[in-house]
Amino acid sequence: MYILGLETSTSQSSVAIVDPERVVASAALGVPRRHGEFVAPAIRFCLDQAGIGADRITGVAVGLGPGLFTGLRVGIATAQTFAAANHLPVVGMSSLDVLAFQARYVPKMICAVIDARRKELYWALYRSSPGGVQREGPLRLGTVDQLTAELESLGEDCMVVGDGALAYRREIDDVRVFVAGPDRAWPDAAVLAELAVPRFIREETQHPTELQPIYLREADAQIGWEQRGRLRGGDPS
Amino acid sequence: MLVLGIETSCDETAVGIVEDQFTLRANVIASQVELHAPYGGVVPEVAARAHLELLLPTIDHALVQAGAGLSDIDAIAVTAGPGLVGALLVGVSGAKGLALAQDVPLLGVNHLRAHIEAAQLEYGELTPPLIALVVSGGHTSIVVMDEDGLCRQLGGTIDDAAGEAFDKIARFIGLGYPGGPEIDKLARQGDPTAFAFPRAMMQGDGYDMSLSGLKTAVIRQLRKMEAAGEEPNLADIAASFQDAIVDVQLDKTLRACAAEGLDQVVLAGGVAANSRLRERFAEQTEINGQRLIVPSIPLCTDNGAMVAASGANLLAAGSFVGLDLAVDPNLPLAGAAASFG
Ligand SMILES: [Zn+2]
Repeated sequence: MYILGLETSTSQSSVAIVDPERVVASAALGVPRRHGEFVAPAIRFCLDQAGIGADRITGVAVGLGPGLFTGLRVGIATAQTFAAANHLPVVGMSSLDVLAFQARYVPKMICAVIDARRKELYWALYRSSPGGVQREGPLRLGTVDQLTAELESLGEDCMVVGDGALAYRREIDDVRVFVAGPDRAWPDAAVLAELAVPRFIREETQHPTELQPIYLREADAQIGWEQRGRLRGGDPS
Repeated sequence: MLVLGIETSCDETAVGIVEDQFTLRANVIASQVELHAPYGGVVPEVAARAHLELLLPTIDHALVQAGAGLSDIDAIAVTAGPGLVGALLVGVSGAKGLALAQDVPLLGVNHLRAHIEAAQLEYGELTPPLIALVVSGGHTSIVVMDEDGLCRQLGGTIDDAAGEAFDKIARFIGLGYPGGPEIDKLARQGDPTAFAFPRAMMQGDGYDMSLSGLKTAVIRQLRKMEAAGEEPNLADIAASFQDAIVDVQLDKTLRACAAEGLDQVVLAGGVAANSRLRERFAEQTEINGQRLIVPSIPLCTDNGAMVAASGANLLAAGSFVGLDLAVDPNLPLAGAAASFG
Protein backbone atom coordinates (compact mmCIF):
# COMPACT_ATOMS: atom_id res chain seq x y z
CA MET A 1 0.00 0.00 0.00
CA TYR A 2 1.32 3.41 -1.04
CA ILE A 3 -0.63 6.52 -0.04
CA LEU A 4 0.07 9.81 -1.77
CA GLY A 5 -0.49 12.77 0.55
CA LEU A 6 -0.96 16.40 -0.53
CA GLU A 7 -1.19 19.36 1.84
CA THR A 8 -1.56 22.85 0.35
CA SER A 9 -3.85 24.68 2.73
CA THR A 10 -1.27 27.12 4.10
CA SER A 11 1.48 29.24 2.60
CA GLN A 12 3.73 26.16 2.69
CA SER A 13 3.04 23.07 0.63
CA SER A 14 4.13 19.49 1.01
CA VAL A 15 3.78 16.16 -0.74
CA ALA A 16 4.58 12.68 0.59
CA ILE A 17 4.28 9.01 -0.21
CA VAL A 18 3.81 6.74 2.81
CA ASP A 19 3.20 3.06 3.38
CA PRO A 20 1.74 1.69 6.64
CA GLU A 21 5.24 1.44 8.17
CA ARG A 22 7.07 4.56 7.07
CA VAL A 23 7.31 7.77 5.09
CA VAL A 24 8.73 6.52 1.81
CA ALA A 25 9.44 9.92 0.27
CA SER A 26 8.50 13.49 0.97
CA ALA A 27 9.01 16.99 -0.35
CA ALA A 28 8.16 20.17 1.51
CA LEU A 29 8.57 23.80 0.66
CA GLY A 30 9.54 26.05 3.56
CA VAL A 31 8.95 29.31 1.78
CA PRO A 32 5.70 30.64 0.43
CA ARG A 33 5.64 29.94 -3.28
CA ARG A 34 2.88 29.26 -5.72
CA HIS A 35 1.37 25.92 -4.79
CA GLY A 36 0.46 25.32 -8.42
CA GLU A 37 4.06 25.20 -9.54
CA PHE A 38 5.33 23.07 -6.67
CA VAL A 39 2.85 20.26 -6.15
CA ALA A 40 3.03 18.33 -9.43
CA PRO A 41 6.84 18.37 -9.72
CA ALA A 42 6.98 17.35 -6.04
CA ILE A 43 4.76 14.34 -6.73
CA ARG A 44 7.05 13.39 -9.62
CA PHE A 45 10.06 13.77 -7.30
CA CYS A 46 8.52 11.58 -4.59
CA LEU A 47 7.56 8.88 -7.09
CA ASP A 48 11.05 8.90 -8.54
CA GLN A 49 12.73 8.82 -5.14
CA ALA A 50 10.44 6.01 -4.02
CA GLY A 51 11.31 4.21 -7.24
CA ILE A 52 7.69 3.56 -8.13
CA GLY A 53 5.43 4.52 -11.01
CA ALA A 54 2.21 6.47 -10.56
CA ASP A 55 0.30 3.23 -11.12
CA ARG A 56 1.65 1.83 -7.84
CA ILE A 57 -0.15 4.44 -5.71
CA THR A 58 -3.15 2.86 -3.98
CA GLY A 59 -4.87 5.91 -2.52
CA VAL A 60 -4.68 9.70 -2.31
CA ALA A 61 -5.06 11.72 0.90
CA VAL A 62 -5.47 15.48 0.71
CA GLY A 63 -5.85 18.40 3.10
CA LEU A 64 -9.27 20.01 2.75
CA GLY A 65 -8.47 23.09 4.81
CA PRO A 66 -9.70 25.40 6.11
CA GLY A 67 -6.95 27.54 4.66
CA LEU A 68 -5.92 29.45 1.57
CA PHE A 69 -8.60 28.93 -1.06
CA THR A 70 -6.26 28.89 -4.02
CA GLY A 71 -3.85 26.46 -2.40
CA LEU A 72 -6.69 24.16 -1.36
CA ARG A 73 -8.02 24.00 -4.87
CA VAL A 74 -4.58 23.22 -6.29
CA GLY A 75 -4.23 20.26 -3.92
CA ILE A 76 -7.77 19.00 -4.32
CA ALA A 77 -7.90 19.37 -8.12
CA THR A 78 -4.60 17.49 -8.42
CA ALA A 79 -5.74 14.79 -6.00
CA GLN A 80 -9.09 14.39 -7.78
CA THR A 81 -7.75 13.94 -11.29
CA PHE A 82 -4.78 11.82 -10.19
CA ALA A 83 -7.11 9.51 -8.28
CA ALA A 84 -9.81 9.43 -10.95
CA ALA A 85 -7.31 8.56 -13.67
CA ASN A 86 -6.16 5.48 -11.78
CA HIS A 87 -9.52 4.65 -10.12
CA LEU A 88 -8.15 5.27 -6.64
CA PRO A 89 -10.03 5.93 -3.40
CA VAL A 90 -9.40 9.25 -1.69
CA VAL A 91 -9.49 10.54 1.88
CA GLY A 92 -9.94 14.22 2.69
CA MET A 93 -8.64 15.46 6.02
CA SER A 94 -9.15 18.72 7.86
CA SER A 95 -5.84 20.56 7.87
CA LEU A 96 -6.55 21.68 11.45
CA ASP A 97 -6.80 18.00 12.45
CA VAL A 98 -3.37 17.44 10.90
CA LEU A 99 -1.89 20.40 12.76
CA ALA A 100 -3.31 19.17 16.07
CA PHE A 101 -2.12 15.62 15.41
CA GLN A 102 1.41 16.98 14.96
CA ALA A 103 1.18 18.21 18.59
CA ARG A 104 -0.42 15.01 19.93
CA TYR A 105 2.26 14.34 22.58
CA VAL A 106 1.48 17.59 24.37
CA PRO A 107 -0.39 16.71 27.60
CA LYS A 108 -2.64 19.75 27.33
CA MET A 109 -5.53 21.09 25.39
CA ILE A 110 -4.38 21.83 21.82
CA CYS A 111 -5.69 24.68 19.70
CA ALA A 112 -4.80 24.48 16.01
CA VAL A 113 -4.91 27.86 14.26
CA ILE A 114 -4.51 28.59 10.55
CA ASP A 115 -4.16 32.13 9.22
CA ALA A 116 -7.30 32.98 7.22
CA ARG A 117 -5.88 36.34 6.05
CA ARG A 118 -8.01 39.50 6.11
CA LYS A 119 -7.40 39.68 9.86
CA GLU A 120 -9.20 36.41 10.57
CA LEU A 121 -8.22 32.94 11.74
CA TYR A 122 -9.48 29.38 11.42
CA TRP A 123 -9.22 27.30 14.57
CA ALA A 124 -10.40 24.25 16.46
CA LEU A 125 -9.73 22.74 19.91
CA TYR A 126 -8.38 19.23 20.50
CA ARG A 127 -7.48 16.97 23.38
CA SER A 128 -4.87 14.20 23.32
CA SER A 129 -6.39 10.76 23.12
CA PRO A 130 -4.84 7.30 22.79
CA GLY A 131 -3.15 7.18 19.39
CA GLY A 132 -3.97 10.72 18.41
CA VAL A 133 -6.16 13.70 19.17
CA GLN A 134 -9.87 14.19 19.57
CA ARG A 135 -11.52 17.35 18.32
CA GLU A 136 -13.68 19.20 20.83
CA GLY A 137 -16.16 21.54 19.20
CA PRO A 138 -16.53 22.87 15.69
CA LEU A 139 -14.08 24.40 13.20
CA ARG A 140 -14.24 28.15 13.71
CA LEU A 141 -13.59 31.30 11.70
CA GLY A 142 -13.11 34.53 13.62
CA THR A 143 -10.88 37.37 14.74
CA VAL A 144 -7.92 37.05 17.08
CA ASP A 145 -10.06 38.69 19.79
CA GLN A 146 -12.66 35.96 19.44
CA LEU A 147 -9.92 33.33 19.57
CA THR A 148 -8.27 34.76 22.70
CA ALA A 149 -11.66 35.10 24.38
CA GLU A 150 -12.30 31.41 23.72
CA LEU A 151 -8.83 30.43 24.97
CA GLU A 152 -9.31 32.52 28.10
CA SER A 153 -12.63 30.88 28.88
CA LEU A 154 -11.03 27.40 28.78
CA GLY A 155 -9.68 27.80 32.29
CA GLU A 156 -6.87 25.34 31.58
CA ASP A 157 -3.47 25.25 29.90
CA CYS A 158 -3.52 25.09 26.14
CA MET A 159 -0.86 24.67 23.46
CA VAL A 160 -1.62 26.84 20.42
CA VAL A 161 -0.13 25.61 17.13
CA GLY A 162 -0.17 26.78 13.55
CA ASP A 163 0.82 29.68 11.31
CA GLY A 164 -2.13 31.65 12.65
CA ALA A 165 -0.70 31.35 16.14
CA LEU A 166 2.67 32.63 14.95
CA ALA A 167 1.11 35.54 13.06
CA TYR A 168 -0.76 36.70 16.17
CA ARG A 169 1.76 35.54 18.73
CA ARG A 170 1.68 38.83 20.67
CA GLU A 171 -2.07 38.90 21.10
CA ILE A 172 -2.25 35.18 21.93
CA ASP A 173 0.67 35.38 24.40
CA ASP A 174 -1.40 37.79 26.49
CA VAL A 175 -3.67 34.90 27.38
CA ARG A 176 -2.15 32.25 29.66
CA VAL A 177 -1.43 29.74 26.90
CA PHE A 178 1.68 28.41 25.13
CA VAL A 179 2.36 29.13 21.49
CA ALA A 180 4.34 26.37 19.77
CA GLY A 181 7.28 27.33 17.60
CA PRO A 182 7.57 27.29 13.82
CA ASP A 183 8.37 23.56 13.75
CA ARG A 184 4.71 22.84 14.44
CA ALA A 185 3.24 25.69 12.43
CA TRP A 186 2.32 24.00 9.15
CA PRO A 187 0.32 20.86 8.44
CA ASP A 188 2.61 18.33 6.80
CA ALA A 189 1.65 15.96 3.99
CA ALA A 190 3.61 13.06 5.50
CA VAL A 191 1.69 13.38 8.77
CA LEU A 192 -1.55 13.77 6.86
CA ALA A 193 -0.92 10.62 4.84
CA GLU A 194 0.11 8.70 7.97
CA LEU A 195 -3.10 9.81 9.64
CA ALA A 196 -5.09 8.70 6.61
CA VAL A 197 -3.60 5.18 6.38
CA PRO A 198 -6.00 3.60 8.92
CA ARG A 199 -8.92 5.05 6.98
CA PHE A 200 -7.71 3.43 3.78
CA ILE A 201 -7.25 0.15 5.65
CA ARG A 202 -10.78 0.39 7.07
CA GLU A 203 -11.99 1.47 3.62
CA GLU A 204 -13.49 4.64 5.02
CA THR A 205 -12.72 6.34 1.75
CA GLN A 206 -14.47 8.61 -0.70
CA HIS A 207 -14.88 8.96 -4.43
CA PRO A 208 -12.70 11.78 -5.88
CA THR A 209 -15.77 13.86 -6.82
CA GLU A 210 -16.81 13.93 -3.16
CA LEU A 211 -13.76 15.94 -2.10
CA GLN A 212 -14.83 19.47 -1.16
CA PRO A 213 -12.68 22.20 0.36
CA ILE A 214 -13.67 23.37 3.83
CA TYR A 215 -14.15 27.05 3.00
CA LEU A 216 -15.97 28.31 6.15
CA ARG A 217 -16.22 31.66 4.38
CA GLU A 218 -18.61 32.76 1.65
CA ALA A 219 -17.20 33.62 -1.76
CA ASP A 220 -16.31 37.26 -2.12
CA ALA A 221 -18.91 38.65 -4.50
CA GLN A 222 -16.69 41.24 -6.10
CA ILE A 223 -17.07 41.17 -9.84
CA GLY A 224 -13.90 40.56 -11.75
CA TRP A 225 -14.21 43.49 -14.18
CA GLU A 226 -10.78 44.71 -13.30
CA GLN A 227 -9.18 41.31 -13.64
CA ARG A 228 -11.17 40.58 -16.76
CA GLY A 229 -10.18 43.91 -18.22
CA ARG A 230 -6.64 42.70 -18.12
CA LEU A 231 -7.56 39.66 -20.18
CA ARG A 232 -7.49 41.68 -23.36
CA GLY A 233 -4.32 39.80 -23.87
CA GLY A 234 -1.86 40.30 -26.59
CA ASP A 235 1.24 42.35 -26.49
CA PRO A 236 0.37 46.03 -26.87
CA SER A 237 3.64 46.68 -28.68
CA MET B 1 -3.62 10.53 -31.33
CA LEU B 2 -6.19 11.80 -28.82
CA VAL B 3 -5.66 15.06 -26.98
CA LEU B 4 -7.87 16.08 -24.09
CA GLY B 5 -8.16 19.83 -23.54
CA ILE B 6 -9.22 21.57 -20.32
CA GLU B 7 -10.48 25.15 -20.24
CA THR B 8 -11.20 26.98 -16.96
CA SER B 9 -9.98 30.52 -17.63
CA CYS B 10 -13.23 32.31 -16.93
CA ASP B 11 -16.78 31.11 -16.26
CA GLU B 12 -17.07 27.93 -18.32
CA THR B 13 -15.69 24.61 -17.16
CA ALA B 14 -15.03 22.95 -20.48
CA VAL B 15 -13.37 19.80 -21.73
CA GLY B 16 -12.82 18.77 -25.33
CA ILE B 17 -11.23 15.83 -27.06
CA VAL B 18 -9.63 16.08 -30.49
CA GLU B 19 -8.30 13.27 -32.65
CA ASP B 20 -5.35 13.78 -34.96
CA GLN B 21 -5.46 17.58 -34.72
CA PHE B 22 -8.52 18.20 -36.85
CA THR B 23 -11.29 15.84 -35.76
CA LEU B 24 -13.62 16.84 -32.97
CA ARG B 25 -14.48 13.91 -30.71
CA ALA B 26 -16.00 15.68 -27.71
CA ASN B 27 -16.88 19.20 -26.65
CA VAL B 28 -18.55 19.44 -23.24
CA ILE B 29 -19.22 22.74 -21.50
CA ALA B 30 -20.51 23.07 -17.95
CA SER B 31 -21.70 26.64 -17.88
CA GLN B 32 -21.64 28.69 -14.71
CA VAL B 33 -23.79 31.45 -16.19
CA GLU B 34 -26.55 30.99 -13.63
CA LEU B 35 -24.10 31.35 -10.74
CA HIS B 36 -22.82 34.70 -11.98
CA ALA B 37 -26.09 36.07 -13.36
CA PRO B 38 -27.22 37.65 -10.05
CA TYR B 39 -24.05 39.75 -10.08
CA GLY B 40 -24.19 40.71 -13.76
CA GLY B 41 -20.58 39.68 -14.22
CA VAL B 42 -18.09 36.96 -13.41
CA VAL B 43 -17.17 36.73 -9.72
CA PRO B 44 -13.65 35.23 -9.61
CA GLU B 45 -14.01 33.30 -6.34
CA VAL B 46 -17.42 31.95 -7.34
CA ALA B 47 -15.93 30.85 -10.66
CA ALA B 48 -12.96 29.10 -9.04
CA ARG B 49 -15.20 27.21 -6.61
CA ALA B 50 -17.51 26.10 -9.39
CA HIS B 51 -14.60 24.97 -11.60
CA LEU B 52 -13.41 22.63 -8.87
CA GLU B 53 -16.87 21.09 -8.50
CA LEU B 54 -17.43 20.74 -12.22
CA LEU B 55 -14.01 19.67 -13.48
CA LEU B 56 -14.14 15.90 -12.91
CA PRO B 57 -17.77 15.48 -14.01
CA THR B 58 -16.99 17.46 -17.18
CA ILE B 59 -13.93 15.32 -17.94
CA ASP B 60 -16.03 12.18 -17.43
CA HIS B 61 -18.77 13.50 -19.67
CA ALA B 62 -16.29 14.36 -22.44
CA LEU B 63 -14.77 10.87 -22.29
CA VAL B 64 -18.23 9.33 -22.61
CA GLN B 65 -19.00 11.60 -25.56
CA ALA B 66 -15.76 10.58 -27.26
CA GLY B 67 -16.30 6.92 -26.42
CA ALA B 68 -12.83 6.82 -24.90
CA GLY B 69 -11.19 6.12 -21.58
CA LEU B 70 -8.48 8.16 -19.91
CA SER B 71 -5.97 5.47 -20.81
CA ASP B 72 -6.66 6.21 -24.50
CA ILE B 73 -5.60 9.86 -24.14
CA ASP B 74 -2.14 10.62 -25.54
CA ALA B 75 -1.65 14.11 -24.10
CA ILE B 76 -3.33 16.62 -21.81
CA ALA B 77 -3.72 20.22 -22.95
CA VAL B 78 -4.78 23.03 -20.64
CA THR B 79 -5.32 26.77 -20.81
CA ALA B 80 -2.45 28.45 -18.95
CA GLY B 81 -3.69 32.01 -19.59
CA PRO B 82 -4.84 34.66 -20.05
CA GLY B 83 -7.69 34.46 -17.57
CA LEU B 84 -8.61 34.62 -13.90
CA VAL B 85 -5.75 33.22 -11.81
CA GLY B 86 -7.84 31.20 -9.37
CA ALA B 87 -9.94 29.78 -12.19
CA LEU B 88 -6.93 28.91 -14.36
CA LEU B 89 -5.23 27.14 -11.44
CA VAL B 90 -8.05 24.63 -11.07
CA GLY B 91 -7.76 23.51 -14.68
CA VAL B 92 -3.97 23.49 -14.68
CA SER B 93 -3.78 21.51 -11.44
CA GLY B 94 -6.35 19.03 -12.72
CA ALA B 95 -4.43 18.67 -15.97
CA LYS B 96 -1.20 18.00 -14.09
CA GLY B 97 -2.89 15.32 -11.98
CA LEU B 98 -4.03 13.56 -15.15
CA ALA B 99 -0.66 13.91 -16.90
CA LEU B 100 1.13 12.53 -13.83
CA ALA B 101 -1.24 9.63 -13.31
CA GLN B 102 -1.28 8.60 -16.97
CA ASP B 103 2.36 9.54 -17.62
CA VAL B 104 1.50 11.50 -20.75
CA PRO B 105 2.80 14.89 -21.99
CA LEU B 106 1.35 18.16 -20.72
CA LEU B 107 0.65 20.99 -23.18
CA GLY B 108 0.26 24.62 -22.07
CA VAL B 109 -2.24 26.43 -24.25
CA ASN B 110 -2.74 30.14 -24.83
CA HIS B 111 -6.49 30.79 -24.61
CA LEU B 112 -6.49 33.47 -27.32
CA ARG B 113 -4.53 31.34 -29.73
CA ALA B 114 -6.89 28.46 -29.02
CA HIS B 115 -9.86 30.64 -29.98
CA ILE B 116 -8.26 31.15 -33.41
CA GLU B 117 -7.21 27.51 -33.81
CA ALA B 118 -10.74 26.29 -32.99
CA ALA B 119 -11.46 26.98 -36.65
CA GLN B 120 -9.27 24.06 -37.75
CA LEU B 121 -11.89 21.65 -36.40
CA GLU B 122 -14.32 22.83 -39.08
CA TYR B 123 -12.12 24.33 -41.79
CA GLY B 124 -9.13 22.00 -41.63
CA GLU B 125 -5.59 23.25 -41.23
CA LEU B 126 -5.32 27.04 -41.11
CA THR B 127 -3.14 28.47 -43.83
CA PRO B 128 -1.53 31.64 -42.51
CA PRO B 129 -0.87 34.45 -43.15
CA LEU B 130 -4.26 35.65 -41.96
CA ILE B 131 -5.96 38.28 -39.85
CA ALA B 132 -7.90 37.24 -36.77
CA LEU B 133 -10.37 39.22 -34.71
CA VAL B 134 -10.44 37.73 -31.22
CA VAL B 135 -13.39 39.24 -29.46
CA SER B 136 -15.06 38.15 -26.24
CA GLY B 137 -15.97 39.12 -22.70
CA GLY B 138 -12.35 39.48 -21.69
CA HIS B 139 -10.50 40.37 -24.86
CA THR B 140 -10.85 42.31 -28.08
CA SER B 141 -7.78 42.09 -30.30
CA ILE B 142 -6.86 42.29 -33.95
CA VAL B 143 -4.07 39.88 -34.71
CA VAL B 144 -1.95 38.85 -37.67
CA MET B 145 -0.93 35.23 -37.83
CA ASP B 146 2.15 35.24 -40.00
CA GLU B 147 3.24 32.52 -42.37
CA ASP B 148 5.37 30.92 -39.64
CA GLY B 149 2.25 30.55 -37.48
CA LEU B 150 3.37 33.18 -34.95
CA CYS B 151 0.91 35.87 -33.94
CA ARG B 152 1.42 39.61 -33.85
CA GLN B 153 -1.09 41.84 -32.17
CA LEU B 154 -1.95 44.88 -34.28
CA GLY B 155 -4.30 46.48 -31.80
CA GLY B 156 -7.14 46.01 -29.43
CA THR B 157 -9.45 47.77 -27.08
CA ILE B 158 -7.76 50.24 -24.78
CA ASP B 159 -10.57 49.98 -22.24
CA ASP B 160 -13.62 47.68 -22.21
CA ALA B 161 -13.61 44.41 -24.12
CA ALA B 162 -16.57 44.10 -26.49
CA GLY B 163 -18.27 41.42 -24.41
CA GLU B 164 -17.80 43.52 -21.31
CA ALA B 165 -19.52 46.47 -23.03
CA PHE B 166 -22.40 44.16 -23.98
CA ASP B 167 -22.70 42.96 -20.37
CA LYS B 168 -22.64 46.46 -18.91
CA ILE B 169 -25.23 47.90 -21.28
CA ALA B 170 -27.44 44.81 -20.92
CA ARG B 171 -27.31 45.26 -17.18
CA PHE B 172 -28.12 48.96 -17.48
CA ILE B 173 -31.23 48.38 -19.59
CA GLY B 174 -32.36 45.51 -17.40
CA LEU B 175 -31.55 42.57 -19.66
CA GLY B 176 -30.16 39.30 -18.38
CA TYR B 177 -26.58 38.13 -18.13
CA PRO B 178 -24.56 37.47 -20.22
CA GLY B 179 -25.43 40.59 -22.15
CA GLY B 180 -24.21 39.62 -25.63
CA PRO B 181 -26.91 37.10 -26.55
CA GLU B 182 -29.62 39.23 -24.87
CA ILE B 183 -28.71 42.37 -26.81
CA ASP B 184 -28.35 40.34 -30.00
CA LYS B 185 -31.90 39.05 -29.56
CA LEU B 186 -33.45 42.41 -28.68
CA ALA B 187 -31.55 44.22 -31.45
CA ARG B 188 -33.25 42.09 -34.10
CA GLN B 189 -36.47 44.02 -33.46
CA GLY B 190 -34.74 47.41 -33.46
CA ASP B 191 -33.51 49.96 -35.93
CA PRO B 192 -29.72 50.16 -35.94
CA THR B 193 -29.84 53.68 -37.39
CA ALA B 194 -32.19 55.05 -34.70
CA PHE B 195 -29.36 56.48 -32.63
CA ALA B 196 -26.00 57.71 -33.86
CA PHE B 197 -23.73 56.38 -31.15
CA PRO B 198 -20.03 57.22 -31.40
CA ARG B 199 -17.53 54.97 -33.16
CA ALA B 200 -14.53 56.07 -31.12
CA MET B 201 -11.14 55.91 -32.78
CA MET B 202 -12.64 54.42 -35.92
CA GLN B 203 -11.13 57.15 -38.03
CA GLY B 204 -7.70 56.78 -36.45
CA ASP B 205 -4.77 55.16 -38.23
CA GLY B 206 -3.99 52.46 -35.70
CA TYR B 207 -5.92 49.36 -34.77
CA ASP B 208 -6.64 50.25 -31.18
CA MET B 209 -10.23 50.94 -30.22
CA SER B 210 -12.12 52.35 -27.27
CA LEU B 211 -15.52 51.06 -26.22
CA SER B 212 -16.02 52.78 -22.90
CA GLY B 213 -17.06 56.06 -24.58
CA LEU B 214 -19.75 54.19 -26.48
CA LYS B 215 -21.04 52.70 -23.27
CA THR B 216 -21.15 56.16 -21.67
CA ALA B 217 -22.94 57.61 -24.71
CA VAL B 218 -25.65 54.94 -24.51
CA ILE B 219 -26.17 55.54 -20.81
CA ARG B 220 -26.24 59.32 -21.34
CA GLN B 221 -28.84 58.94 -24.09
CA LEU B 222 -31.07 56.84 -21.85
CA ARG B 223 -30.76 59.31 -18.97
CA LYS B 224 -31.56 62.23 -21.28
CA MET B 225 -34.68 60.51 -22.54
CA GLU B 226 -35.69 59.64 -19.01
CA ALA B 227 -35.29 63.27 -17.91
CA ALA B 228 -37.42 64.39 -20.87
CA GLY B 229 -40.09 61.89 -19.92
CA GLU B 230 -39.60 59.91 -23.14
CA GLU B 231 -39.97 56.16 -23.17
CA PRO B 232 -36.87 54.81 -24.98
CA ASN B 233 -37.34 52.08 -27.54
CA LEU B 234 -34.88 49.62 -26.04
CA ALA B 235 -34.75 47.52 -29.20
CA ASP B 236 -33.57 50.58 -31.10
CA ILE B 237 -31.04 51.34 -28.39
CA ALA B 238 -29.74 47.75 -28.48
CA ALA B 239 -29.58 47.67 -32.29
CA SER B 240 -27.80 51.03 -32.51
CA PHE B 241 -25.36 50.13 -29.76
CA GLN B 242 -24.63 46.73 -31.30
CA ASP B 243 -24.05 48.25 -34.71
CA ALA B 244 -21.60 50.76 -33.30
CA ILE B 245 -19.55 47.90 -31.82
CA VAL B 246 -19.79 45.83 -34.98
CA ASP B 247 -18.84 48.80 -37.17
CA VAL B 248 -15.65 49.42 -35.24
CA GLN B 249 -14.63 45.74 -35.29
CA LEU B 250 -15.42 45.37 -38.97
CA ASP B 251 -13.72 48.56 -40.03
CA LYS B 252 -10.54 47.93 -38.06
CA THR B 253 -10.29 44.28 -39.08
CA LEU B 254 -10.79 44.89 -42.78
CA ARG B 255 -8.42 47.84 -42.66
CA ALA B 256 -5.82 45.48 -41.19
CA CYS B 257 -6.41 43.04 -44.06
CA ALA B 258 -5.84 45.78 -46.59
CA ALA B 259 -2.76 47.16 -44.87
CA GLU B 260 -1.19 43.72 -44.45
CA GLY B 261 -2.27 42.60 -47.90
CA LEU B 262 -4.12 39.57 -46.52
CA ASP B 263 -7.36 38.06 -47.72
CA GLN B 264 -8.27 35.59 -44.97
CA VAL B 265 -10.13 36.63 -41.84
CA VAL B 266 -10.81 34.46 -38.80
CA LEU B 267 -13.51 35.51 -36.33
CA ALA B 268 -12.87 34.04 -32.90
CA GLY B 269 -14.14 34.33 -29.35
CA GLY B 270 -17.51 34.53 -27.65
CA VAL B 271 -18.62 37.77 -29.29
CA ALA B 272 -18.00 36.12 -32.68
CA ALA B 273 -21.25 34.32 -31.85
CA ASN B 274 -23.08 37.65 -32.30
CA SER B 275 -25.42 37.28 -35.29
CA ARG B 276 -25.00 40.87 -36.48
CA LEU B 277 -21.21 40.62 -36.39
CA ARG B 278 -21.27 37.39 -38.38
CA GLU B 279 -23.75 38.82 -40.88
CA ARG B 280 -21.86 42.07 -41.47
CA PHE B 281 -18.51 40.27 -41.81
CA ALA B 282 -20.03 37.75 -44.22
CA GLU B 283 -21.48 40.55 -46.40
CA GLN B 284 -18.38 42.66 -46.45
CA THR B 285 -15.82 39.91 -46.98
CA GLU B 286 -17.92 38.59 -49.86
CA ILE B 287 -17.92 42.00 -51.49
CA ASN B 288 -14.15 42.23 -50.98
CA GLY B 289 -13.52 38.70 -52.20
CA GLN B 290 -11.94 37.69 -48.89
CA ARG B 291 -12.16 34.29 -47.25
CA LEU B 292 -14.10 34.42 -43.97
CA ILE B 293 -13.37 31.69 -41.45
CA VAL B 294 -15.88 31.67 -38.64
CA PRO B 295 -16.40 28.64 -36.42
CA SER B 296 -19.87 27.54 -35.44
CA ILE B 297 -21.13 29.06 -32.21
CA PRO B 298 -20.14 26.23 -29.80
CA LEU B 299 -16.56 26.63 -31.02
CA CYS B 300 -16.64 30.45 -30.69
CA THR B 301 -17.64 30.71 -27.06
CA ASP B 302 -15.12 29.36 -24.53
CA ASN B 303 -14.77 25.61 -25.00
CA GLY B 304 -12.42 22.72 -24.38
CA ALA B 305 -12.26 21.53 -27.98
CA MET B 306 -10.31 24.63 -28.97
CA VAL B 307 -7.82 23.91 -26.18
CA ALA B 308 -7.49 20.32 -27.36
CA ALA B 309 -7.02 21.51 -30.96
CA SER B 310 -4.36 24.03 -29.98
CA GLY B 311 -2.74 21.39 -27.76
CA ALA B 312 -2.76 18.89 -30.60
CA ASN B 313 -0.85 21.41 -32.71
CA LEU B 314 1.68 21.85 -29.91
CA LEU B 315 1.99 18.08 -29.57
CA ALA B 316 2.64 17.75 -33.31
CA ALA B 317 5.33 20.44 -32.97
CA GLY B 318 6.83 18.73 -29.91
CA SER B 319 6.21 21.79 -27.71
CA PHE B 320 5.57 20.22 -24.30
CA VAL B 321 5.67 21.98 -20.95
CA GLY B 322 6.92 20.74 -17.59
CA LEU B 323 4.85 19.86 -14.54
CA ASP B 324 5.89 23.24 -13.11
CA LEU B 325 3.75 25.03 -15.72
CA ALA B 326 2.66 28.36 -14.22
CA VAL B 327 -0.60 30.12 -14.95
CA ASP B 328 -0.31 33.62 -16.34
CA PRO B 329 -3.39 35.86 -16.11
CA ASN B 330 -1.89 38.20 -18.71
CA LEU B 331 -0.31 35.63 -21.01
CA PRO B 332 0.39 37.49 -24.25
CA LEU B 333 -0.69 36.06 -27.57
CA ALA B 334 2.45 37.33 -29.23
CA GLY B 335 4.70 34.93 -27.31
CA ALA B 336 2.57 31.82 -27.84
CA ALA B 337 4.50 29.03 -29.52
CA ALA B 338 3.70 28.57 -33.16
CA SER B 339 2.19 25.18 -33.37
CA PHE B 340 2.38 24.79 -37.10
CA GLY B 341 3.64 26.53 -40.22
ZN1 LIG C 1 -12.34 33.29 -24.48
